[in-house]
Amino acid sequence: MQLVYTAEQQAFRAEVRAWMEAHVPKEPLVTLECREGYDQHVEWERTLASGNWGMVTWPEAYGGRGLDLIQWLIFEEEYFRAGGPNRANQNGIFLLGPTIMEFGTEEQKARFLTPMAKGEVIWAQAWSEPGAGSDMAAIQSKAVRNGDHYVITGQKTWSSRAAFADWGFGIFRTDPDSTRHKGLTFILFDLNSPGITRRPIRQLHGDTGFAELFFDEVRVPVENCLAGEGQGWNVAMATAGFERGLMLRSPGRFQATAKRLVELYRQHADHAAPSAREAVVQAWGAAQAYAYNTYAVAAKIMAGGKIGAEASLNKIFWSELDRSMHRTAMQLLGAAAELKRFDDGRINQWLEGYIFSLSGPVYAGSNEVQRNITAERLLGLPRVGAG
Amino acid sequence: MDFRFSDDQLTLATSVRDYLSGTHGPEVLRHLDEAGPRDPAIWQGLVDMGLTGLLVPEAHGGLGMGLIEAALIAAECGRACLAEPLVDTAFVGVPWLLSQGQTDGLADVVAGTRKLAPAHAINPWVADGDGDALVSVDPLRKLTVRVERSRDTAAQGVSTSLDANGAGDDYLLNLGALMSAAQLVGLADAMLHQAVEYAKLRTQFGQPIGAFQGIKHQLASCSVAIEFAKPVVWRAAAALQDGLASAAAHVSHAKLAASDAAMLTAETAIQVHGAMGYTYEVDLHFWMKRSWALCGAWGDRAFHLKRIDDAVLGGSLPIGPEHTFA
Repeated sequence: MQLVYTAEQQAFRAEVRAWMEAHVPKEPLVTLECREGYDQHVEWERTLASGNWGMVTWPEAYGGRGLDLIQWLIFEEEYFRAGGPNRANQNGIFLLGPTIMEFGTEEQKARFLTPMAKGEVIWAQAWSEPGAGSDMAAIQSKAVRNGDHYVITGQKTWSSRAAFADWGFGIFRTDPDSTRHKGLTFILFDLNSPGITRRPIRQLHGDTGFAELFFDEVRVPVENCLAGEGQGWNVAMATAGFERGLMLRSPGRFQATAKRLVELYRQHADHAAPSAREAVVQAWGAAQAYAYNTYAVAAKIMAGGKIGAEASLNKIFWSELDRSMHRTAMQLLGAAAELKRFDDGRINQWLEGYIFSLSGPVYAGSNEVQRNITAERLLGLPRVGAG
Repeated sequence: MDFRFSDDQLTLATSVRDYLSGTHGPEVLRHLDEAGPRDPAIWQGLVDMGLTGLLVPEAHGGLGMGLIEAALIAAECGRACLAEPLVDTAFVGVPWLLSQGQTDGLADVVAGTRKLAPAHAINPWVADGDGDALVSVDPLRKLTVRVERSRDTAAQGVSTSLDANGAGDDYLLNLGALMSAAQLVGLADAMLHQAVEYAKLRTQFGQPIGAFQGIKHQLASCSVAIEFAKPVVWRAAAALQDGLASAAAHVSHAKLAASDAAMLTAETAIQVHGAMGYTYEVDLHFWMKRSWALCGAWGDRAFHLKRIDDAVLGGSLPIGPEHTFA
């Protein structure tokens, strides 16, 4: 156990810090969940790419810098220290990218990864269907093989970024006689293909972060299938592992929120209840605990280990921490908590953050599912009812 | 930067775990609780493994290891609910004596013939050698009184000689709190394991109760609390070992996280055991009572919360994403 950075790591931190200080927008961007904000965030992705910071852990051949996970953590810490915006392409760089890296052909890597790292193609996910939420194996949307194409018919929903994104990925039933986990195939598709209708869904804050997707005989080339026909479930599980595991929510994000919460507390200390004070202190502690755990997981992976079902513990922890920190902030703000903008015109990031944090325990596999996985695969309790 | 234990450290911890699970089962705790005589072979086994000399410098006959190894082994002592004064003697008393430049008698500690009961103003009592009472060391009253507390928790045989009297020394407090935290994550692990095993065996409504989500989700929440307390404990051990100025805050963070995880797991484990959990017959209560004792020892929850508060809100500890290891 060696908890000090090398001189090289410190120099890298200084390099990231200098770049971020020079480039991160001084004012927070408008929320990613509307057209104006989406465009601002995509522009930021291109700015990041101009500094070659799109996805630092990827090989240089695919638009990355070939850095290790400790350097990635340092990058993320500095990113959030500087107040870097949410990543418009998180579905691409954190979920699909690692999946293509593991399962894709050389041709697919060359075709998809670099534009992803450079923010040129923004990705949406298309997992859920009206009848397949937590029970993803109930997927019904069909992809029928017809020569060198699949013809997709069906419906996806809660598709994050699909209101505005360029491409999407999801799993579809390619074997019409199959049920449950079998006969599914992981397919990448252009969201502007003929036959796709996007219907943005207005979320509880009034903006449109996700969308329904209707597929009416949409033709997708066979080479857009990842890891072969019928392999969809295994590939999707790997993607879900990336989502819940290391990368989607790096600790810097929560440490930055905890720090802002401490500052907010100081502004409201004269009327804050002792319970709020304890919640603020606990927020710092939990964000730190999450950071230590992430460093431990990173070290394990760098030594050749893998992250398995413990990714579920991560997902439970960060999502509930995020909600708890924002709830505390809402309490400290009192009546001002409900304002979208404060009197001085500043965006109320705590309200946006609180509303977003309510989705954390739901997306990426609900926390009820994560607790089942924890109980069954980590603790060894008996499985019931799962097909 | 490498947040991992070495293979040697893990091998050492495994050997301690194997030894304790083989020689120090719940029957030992029952025997002591019924005022049965102590089995000197258990202590001697720990001595023979070199654990009493773990932190003693090699020049004085010890193994010369550090607080990270000690914390890892303290967690194993917690897992076994060890009723021998290894942690107080070897992982709290020894490093404190070394910090005071006191090396006289270390050979006796290594040999297992001298046990230490480190006294500090934050603890009103230390355990005595009989195992069913505590000795008040209240410095204001200067009294030595025998007080009863919930049985079994006192089952650590420690000599009453207060030869490691650290009064208000912060380093001693940090050592005691860190090692309590390490024992607490081990205790919590063990309580969770007992509850899981019971939930697999106990059948109601035609299936093991562990198949019900109402049970699964509670136990999963314990797992989350424990797994995110552990790295805080290891980080605190590294901070204290490296002498960081921030070590006190990190030790308090460890004590708070480990105490909360252990208390949650104790209550959940009793609940999962149903009425059986309320009996003396089930072993769980030994682990629960030890957890209570350690949660209150070396600074209670409020004390450690206040110390973190002072550092974080008081501004002495740098916070934010770039200060993970400050």
